[in-house]
Amino acid sequence: MADVRDIMELERPPTPEITRETILGDKTKKRTSVGPKVPKRPEGMHREVFALLYNDNKDAPPLFPSDTIGNNGYKQTKIKLGMRKPRKWVWMPFTNPARTDNATFHHWRRPSDEPKEYPFAKFNKKVEIRTYTDHEYQQHLKCEGWTKEETDHMMDLAHRFDLRFLMMADRYDTERFSKRSVEDIKERYYKICGVLAKLNGEKKIYTYDGDHERRRKEQLKKLYDRKPEQIEEEQFLLGELKKIEARKKERERKTQDLQKLISQADSQNETPRKTDKKLPKKKISNPSRPSRVDTNHIFQVIESAGIKFPDFKNSGVSLRSQRMKLPANVGQKKSKGVEQILQEMGLELNPTPSEEICQHFNELRSDMVLLIEIKAALSTCEYELQSLRHQYEALNPGKSLSIPPQLLSSADGEGKISTGEIIDVVGSPGTPSNT
Amino acid sequence: MSLPTDFGPDSGGRMKGICIVKPIVYGNIARYFGKKREEDGHTHQWTVYLKPHQNEDMSMYVKKVHFKLHESYANQNRIVVKPPYEISETGWGEFEIVIKIHFHDPNERPVTMYHILKLFHSGNTQDIGIEQSQGLVSENYDEIVFQDPTQLMHHLLTNTKQLTLGRWDHNTNFALKKEKTLKTIIEAKQKVKGEIAILKNKLKLAKETISMFKDEIAKSQDNQFML
Repeated sequence: MADVRDIMELERPPTPEITRETILGDKTKKRTSVGPKVPKRPEGMHREVFALLYNDNKDAPPLFPSDTIGNNGYKQTKIKLGMRKPRKWVWMPFTNPARTDNATFHHWRRPSDEPKEYPFAKFNKKVEIRTYTDHEYQQHLKCEGWTKEETDHMMDLAHRFDLRFLMMADRYDTERFSKRSVEDIKERYYKICGVLAKLNGEKKIYTYDGDHERRRKEQLKKLYDRKPEQIEEEQFLLGELKKIEARKKERERKTQDLQKLISQADSQNETPRKTDKKLPKKKISNPSRPSRVDTNHIFQVIESAGIKFPDFKNSGVSLRSQRMKLPANVGQKKSKGVEQILQEMGLELNPTPSEEICQHFNELRSDMVLLIEIKAALSTCEYELQSLRHQYEALNPGKSLSIPPQLLSSADGEGKISTGEIIDVVGSPGTPSNT
Repeated sequence: MSLPTDFGPDSGGRMKGICIVKPIVYGNIARYFGKKREEDGHTHQWTVYLKPHQNEDMSMYVKKVHFKLHESYANQNRIVVKPPYEISETGWGEFEIVIKIHFHDPNERPVTMYHILKLFHSGNTQDIGIEQSQGLVSENYDEIVFQDPTQLMHHLLTNTKQLTLGRWDHNTNFALKKEKTLKTIIEAKQKVKGEIAILKNKLKLAKETISMFKDEIAKSQDNQFML
């Protein structure tokens, strides 16, 4: 086909441009999918020559043109040599204006360049170092710890070494003067510059904090001087810190979840929650010696029950009715309970707030919370008694323990005052002896 | 007028240990037009007010009283600087009015009260002192408590004048009401305390019974082991 197209001088279908992406991107695809790539005849190569390179099997050719991507391909048959007249190189002397000794050297150069200056001379930059007169020194530049001679020496070094302070410190005349650190020299130099700039009315401000530099270098030195073990230790500690923080986050998340659960449970009925809690507890504890923890903790709760109203002892103005507000730590459940009892007793929820009423009303509601707590505790105890009785009956078939009747009455008469006597349980007739 | 000037270094200009109480009454009266007004649909004329419980001129220590009405009223923030501290309006609905009392001494923070404007009779016990001739009255008693007042405030609070020479009455007899309320509260308290005592005894009984039951169970378990 290609030949026919060639003969008929038909347009070839446009081949996609080769870019880095097409090469890299297609490689993997083509290797797996299509067979060997059909080589394209480089432009300008004779068909016969190309046919020699490729046989019918379309195997990879023994030779492959690689440098034909240029504009001409194989069309340009000869290299164009000698088209232009060669330019001359001349061995000639030159002087470097950066040198003061006028030394002459030689190098190869085009004759046309001759009148030009040595091209590298422009890199010979000179730093302008400020100078001062004796008078200026006496008036403004005196400094404790620096004599004029030493200052002069320092400025001279600055001039010689173009403010390369490290070199200046190295070449410092330690025979005449004491050794100075780079920071000392810099500090002194910039101070002088600053004073002179000010005298000349320049705006530029020279600031150099020698102490800061010293500290900075000390820190760098310490950082550099760390032993491998120390670096390792630091890495280890950082890792530990990360772990601790992760653990902390985890804990916080867990407590939040727990809080959510607790508040959810609170908003539900209270009694079932308590029994739910108790059931697993009892199963865990050794049944032969049941612990008293459950009931004991109930009694502790009772001791601390009630509402703690905040003290209004702070200076300032307030409304009396504010003091009758239930504090925020009283749960919704409890405040609802208190409201209910108040309504049952035919009391106002917000009575006229005089001082006396305020106090009594708060005490009353605190007592009501206590009452609610005790009732809850009693029902828990009753449940416990029932379950203990069942346990006993299981152990001693045919026998039973009797629960004092007053304790069973908590189910009847909500909020009513029962007038029944309290019977001492010790040696109560309902208790069987199984000796 | 000589005032003591030094109350110690930590007083902050306040007179420690002094507490002044100013009882106040706030609320509203409302009167039905008898029919709906054509132009705007308003049905009631009402007045919201704040006044002292005793006969005294509150402007001595009150700088201004700020009534914040419903946003549908033009100029919903009404400020009254001298007695009587009241706003009269017409309307058709009930809403919450914020009453804020500012004092002359800027060191004393303003106090805020909330009053639900009442226009309609309801079975609730809250609306009180209803006299048909006067319309409807809904008012509350409260007390402003000045704990450790500043020197200036103390001076202002203790030098008030009478507001009128005539009788100073309220629609509600708060003294009687207070007395009755206190009595019922104390009674209720005694009742609750009695109940608590009984329940505590029951709880004690329950505790003892529980421990006895546990002992019994332990005993019978030991017996089983011996068998």
